[in-house]
Parts: sequence; C-alpha cells; structure tokens
Amino acid sequence: MSAGDDARPARADAIRRGVAGRLNVPRPALVEQAVSGEPRLVDRELVTVVREEWRVVDRWWTDEPVDRRYFEVVLESGRNVCVYRDGERACWFTQRA
Amino acid sequence: MGPVTAAAETAGVVPGMRLGEALAMCPQLVLVDPDPAGAEREWEGVLRRLEDAGFAVEPVEPGMVVFETTGVERLYGGVEAALRKALVSVGPAWDPRAGAGARRFVALAAASVASPGQAVIVEGREEQSFLDPLPLSLLPLDEERYAELEGLGVRTLGSLASLPGGAVAERLGREGKQAWSLARGGERRRVRGRSPAAELVEALSFPEAVANELTLRRAFGALLDRLHARPERAGRPFRKLALSAKLVGGGSWRRTVTMREATAERGRLRSALGPKLAEIPAPVVELRLEAVELAEHTGQQLALVAPEGEEAGGRLREGLRQVRASAGGGAVGAVVEVAPWSRIPETRALVVPRDE
Repeated sequence: MSAGDDARPARADAIRRGVAGRLNVPRPALVEQAVSGEPRLVDRELVTVVREEWRVVDRWWTDEPVDRRYFEVVLESGRNVCVYRDGERACWFTQRA
Repeated sequence: MGPVTAAAETAGVVPGMRLGEALAMCPQLVLVDPDPAGAEREWEGVLRRLEDAGFAVEPVEPGMVVFETTGVERLYGGVEAALRKALVSVGPAWDPRAGAGARRFVALAAASVASPGQAVIVEGREEQSFLDPLPLSLLPLDEERYAELEGLGVRTLGSLASLPGGAVAERLGREGKQAWSLARGGERRRVRGRSPAAELVEALSFPEAVANELTLRRAFGALLDRLHARPERAGRPFRKLALSAKLVGGGSWRRTVTMREATAERGRLRSALGPKLAEIPAPVVELRLEAVELAEHTGQQLALVAPEGEEAGGRLREGLRQVRASAGGGAVGAVVEVAPWSRIPETRALVVPRDE
C-alpha cells in the first residue's frame, strides 16, 4: 500500500468531521537519481526522457519552508510522471503538478 | 485595558486603564486576547441554562439579562428562591448578581449593589428610598452630562429625582429627561422572552491558518451551501446570520448581520456577509456560519417555466443522495479551489464536506 492510499481514508475521515481535506497531497516515491540529480529510475522503472524541470522555493520565512526540485519525466512504459526531490527532507515524492 | 474580571477589579484594575499602569497595579495580571465569538457562545450558554430553569429571558447585552419570575415563583417557592435558582443556573464562575423589582431599572439597580452570588429584592413601596442614595453612574448618560450634573451639585439618583421634570428636560434635553424618569424608577415594561435560538451552525477547520480573502470567500461559500441545505431549516428564510472565525493567536472574531428582508437566496446572503470577511484581523484556523434567527415560512412565487439546468441539477442531487445513503454522511465532498495561483500544488484546492 502506498502513502496515497493512506491519504484517501484520512481525507474522508477529515470530511466526516467537517474539516477540509487536502487534494493532490504528495506521495512518497522510490526514485534512483543520476549524478546530475535527475531521476534515473522511478518506482523501479527506467526514465527515458526528462521533459521539464523546475524549482519551487517558498515559505522560507515560516517553520515549514518549501524547497522542491520538480521533474516531469516519461517512463519506459510511456507513462508521464511528475516527481520532486524535497530539499528540506532529502527525499522523493510524486505529485500531479 | 478592555473588560476586566471581578478579581482584577478588586486588585484595582479598571477598564480603560493603560496597560503599564494596570501591570504596575497588579503584577500577576493575566492578559487575554479578545474572544467575542467565545464570549457570545458562553453568554448563549448562560441564557440557555436560565431558560432550562424555566425563566423567559430577554437579553439586554452580553452580561445583562432581564427575566420574569412570576411564572416560576410557585415552582421554586417565592421570588428569593427563584432568584437563587437563577444564580445557581448561571454558575458561580460568572460572579452573577441578581436584583428584583417591580420595574426594570429598580431591578438593575438592585443587581448592581448586590455582591457576587447574592440577590437583592426591592419591594414596591421601598423603591424610591432604595434608589435615592445610589450614584448617578447607574444612569445611561455620557461623561459630559455627569460632569454637568455634578457641577450642579446633583450626585445621587434621589437628588435628580427631586428636581422638577420640566426643568431637567429644559436643561439637559431628552437624554436628561429620560435619566430623570429612570431616577424615579423608570417605566413598567413587560419582559418579552426571546424565541428559542436556532441551533444551525456550520464550521470549517483549515489544515493551516488562512489569511487570503479569496480562500476565505470560497470557504464561506461552501459553509453557506451547507447551511442552506440543512433539513432543520425546513425552507424558512434567514433573518439573522453570524459569521465568526477562530484566529491563529487564540482570539476570535464575530460579525452578525440582520437581513432587511428575510431571504434564503444564496447570492443575497453572500453579498451581505461576504464583505465582512475583509475585516478579519488575523489568519483564520476555523470559520463558522450560524443561523441566529430564521423567519417564519413564507410562500414563494414559483416560476412558470423551470429555469435551465434544473432537471440536470435534480438528477445530480438524487444521485448524490443515493451515494450518501449507501456510503454514509460525509461521503460526498466538493472541491473548492482556494489558491489556484499557488506554486505548491497541494495548497491549490481543498475538499470540503457537502451535505446538500
């Protein structure tokens, strides 16, 4: 079971309690990166092309700063996936950007 | 300084005092952020407890309520026992004081001289002798008028009451005449018990504090939809609504709007309450919308031709009703775009419960 599957019941539970739930919450991803920092394998599947790359640095003035390096990649199976490396937590996530 | 507790007042702190002065006077003083929504909720609790004890209450302002004891005197065994019951209902934490008299002002004056937890009863024939030595500060007059009366040597209710009414009216105008009339006990007016308050509240907690007005507007829209769909409303239009927010620092904010004409039209309600969101002073962690008063059901003129899209809307509602019936309450949510411009994808939209 992935973290995304966990997020859905949690969101439904939040809605039941009258609390707004988040949409498009990032899910942990298994990524192997190249020396350049670009993803080479995403969820054990080879990355054939990196279509786009961008950075999001925000909320640096708060207790929860955001430092993400996003990659939109095409996998060997032809699937389009968006992953990012969280600079604060030093781990990878997948998210629809 | 804003309002102060009885304990702080005992230590010499009074409302309006400078902060430094108050802290010098009472170093153990605890400062609390203003929480009008919390105060209103607590006050509503007090009123409900009094109503549960059988009193028909007419709230004057937060902290002051008028009620009739005639109906419950036989139940509790006299005026004094009824007032004791009222004090117990309010609870000792509030330092409640009660006063009874044949007229409102006399009862108010009696309550103002009572100690916390005590009830003072003024019999009809003792009214004037009770009022005579009391200070003028009980009267609803502005500072200048007090100063003027003091300058004239009038310091007690008795000395004001003994003046000829015409002369007081000539010197102090309408306000002075009213004060003179109160100093003589005021008029007799029936207590009009309030109608039971509606318990229609919708609230939305945010995963993190929200300061953006657009986000708040969207959340307010979702709350309005939910309140509108509550079955307890039974089609009745809204007369009075309250919008309140729990603020990030622990304080709160609250605004009440009375509709000139009771309505259930979302567009009109949105335009009446929406602009108030701009007045919220700090980021919000919870937004609440409360139907304070509903109007009685009024007939509505139906349209001759159903508006476009009504059939599709009806089918959608029926579909959602079935989903809710099979999957339980909270199974249906609506996606509300709150910050579509955000660079952080998960903050762009929220899923809010939808009970319609």
